Amino acid sequence: MALPIEPTAVQTLAALTPDLIKASQVGTKAIAASIAISTTAASTALAEYAIGTAAVGATAEKPEVFGSVLILTVIPETIVIFGLVVALLLII
Amino acid sequence: MLKTKAMTHLLITGLKERMEETIRELYLQHAFHIREYVEGKDVEYEGFVLGKPLPRAGSISEELVRLRGVLSLLGIHPPEASVKERPKTGDIAGRMERDLPSLEEEVEGLVSRKRDLLEPRVRQLEEEIAVLTPFAAAPLDLDMYRGYSSLAVFAGKISHDVNIPVPHEKFFTSAVEGHFIAVFVRTGDRGEVEGILQEARFQPLTIPEGSGYPKERLGACRVDLDRVKKEMEETDHRLGEIRSQHEAFLLACEEILSTQAEQFEAPLRFATSEGTFVAEGWVPTERVKALREGVARTAGGKVYIAEIEMGHETRDVPVDYENPPFARPTELITDLHSRPRYSEVDPTLPVAIIFPIFFGIILGDVGYGAVLLAAALALPKILASKEAARLSAVLRNCSISSIIFGLLFSEFFGFEFPWHPILFSRHLVIGGEAGEGPNIVGLLVFAVWIAIAQITLGRVLNAVNQSRGHHGMKGILGQVGWIVTMFGILSMIWSLFPIPYMPNLTALPPVIMGLSLSALAGVVMIIAGIVFIGMESSLELIELPTIISNSMSYARLAAVGLSSVVIAIVINYIAISKLIEPNLETLTFMGIVLILIGIAVLVVGHLLNTALGLIGGGLQSLRLQYVEFFTKFYKGGGKKYRPFGMEKRFSED
Repeated sequence: MALPIEPTAVQTLAALTPDLIKASQVGTKAIAASIAISTTAASTALAEYAIGTAAVGATAEKPEVFGSVLILTVIPETIVIFGLVVALLLII
Repeated sequence: MLKTKAMTHLLITGLKERMEETIRELYLQHAFHIREYVEGKDVEYEGFVLGKPLPRAGSISEELVRLRGVLSLLGIHPPEASVKERPKTGDIAGRMERDLPSLEEEVEGLVSRKRDLLEPRVRQLEEEIAVLTPFAAAPLDLDMYRGYSSLAVFAGKISHDVNIPVPHEKFFTSAVEGHFIAVFVRTGDRGEVEGILQEARFQPLTIPEGSGYPKERLGACRVDLDRVKKEMEETDHRLGEIRSQHEAFLLACEEILSTQAEQFEAPLRFATSEGTFVAEGWVPTERVKALREGVARTAGGKVYIAEIEMGHETRDVPVDYENPPFARPTELITDLHSRPRYSEVDPTLPVAIIFPIFFGIILGDVGYGAVLLAAALALPKILASKEAARLSAVLRNCSISSIIFGLLFSEFFGFEFPWHPILFSRHLVIGGEAGEGPNIVGLLVFAVWIAIAQITLGRVLNAVNQSRGHHGMKGILGQVGWIVTMFGILSMIWSLFPIPYMPNLTALPPVIMGLSLSALAGVVMIIAGIVFIGMESSLELIELPTIISNSMSYARLAAVGLSSVVIAIVINYIAISKLIEPNLETLTFMGIVLILIGIAVLVVGHLLNTALGLIGGGLQSLRLQYVEFFTKFYKGGGKKYRPFGMEKRFSED
């Protein structure tokens, strides 16, 4: 019975396998990095959306609270920075 | 240094007959921050009542209201106005009595004539013209349209001429817009004719009042309208003339009256008894002497000033900044958060130094820095306010720092200077070019070093605060605890992992339980630190993870900076490598169009990136100050120092 693939092809494939594994590792890392940055960015956006809405409302009522609500609004930004650091550590 | 201006708490007591002179002197000195007296609030003021305004306050207020009305009629807004020359108060006083009433009368007269007479007349004439215009096309007297008993009259607009099968008299013209038709029929035929006209989309018009030929009346109306409009123009011209001639005078009058009104109403903020008054407030300590002398001179010894000792409770004390000139504009940033309390460390000076540096680290690019520098220098020319001047000074410092870091990062609109980056490289490799790429690890570690430095500074400043307050040693030890814990964690990390640009302690031999000497020292430091923190307040222990999260947060210095560089490089790549360069070799028509598009992409792209860099660099470094730095030591919530008196802008004493 004939093999589905030519023997020479099997050899070539075997030789290629370490490269393929390496390449797929790089790819997986890139995907992992993208998940790290995108999920944290989305979470930051979600958190800042809620805080920002309230902050604008509060500032409209009482302009002097601008400084404190600005701080509250930017607090979740740290989340995306964490994501970024993880992503950079993954791909460097 | 790092302190707000020293204040002295004063109690001014005197005979009521000397109150007016005292108020005038306090107003002139512009240093006394009045503590408003509230009836029945303080026990020591028993028997005192709130003062009454000085006798002339009412008439001054009335004059002021009238003058402000006139200013608004002339379109002059004192907060935005600026004058070239400031008249002397003494010169104005005479002119104010002589000229102001007649000037006010003239303006009010002109405006009321325009508003009540001319404007309604224009509207009326325009309406009449609109009604008469269609009828003017027909050569019929207006009387002929009405007053019949056996005739029905139709007059109005119609889509086209119609044939009327009954006996009639008709006039049709297409000379006016929408064609005009006038039909006279017997009353009995009204229904039939109405049907025919309806089919041609007839729209009846109201027949104008009065008699005479519409054309003649229309002519008369137009002449009248021109006349009234001209009169309105003359009125506006005259108002403009008054404005340009008397603006400085009117503004000076407004200022003088405002100062008088404020002075005359000042007793409303004092406590008074039958024969005396008491004013409580604060004065910068350096000005107490001048104030005492001034009051003694004007009040002739009938007013007594006492200094009240300040205790630990300094919440009510108004706060004025005292910073070196270069840091003064940064008070804007501190005020945006909140003003320091009286006994607290004023963070303006450290922020004045650190904020521009952070901005520079994020937007380190000579090109963008130069653009922002130009904007900063142009800002005061567009906006004349004090805030704009401060903002421009802050922006100027930031853009200079950007230029310096741009030289260090070797960046010019995303391009590299001929030299290699002196600091870490931020140049990314895109489009298959060769190059070593950015030193991301270096940038991140650099950011963490900055974090360690600024957080330590924040804790040290908190310790300074504690030493000034009444918490004493315990509070200081708590802050030392935070610093020791942070360095303990660092020592542990350095002993376990080799990190570039940081001390490498992994090679030290293990001493006990597989831990090296440095790791052991780290453990001891962490435990000691936690004990110190717990001694100050055990609640603070839940904040321990912030040591890591706050330090990581400084990674934004690297991250936001890199994103700005990426955008710049991508703009250059699209515009120059893809659109401009390939088309420069052989010039074709399409090629030239693409080159022009490339130039547009380059200019618009870099302008957008400058704006993004300003927002990114500004907001991110502001956030690091407010969230990571201020939370370590700064409470804020102090009262703004508002001395009694006013800075004169439109007149001189």
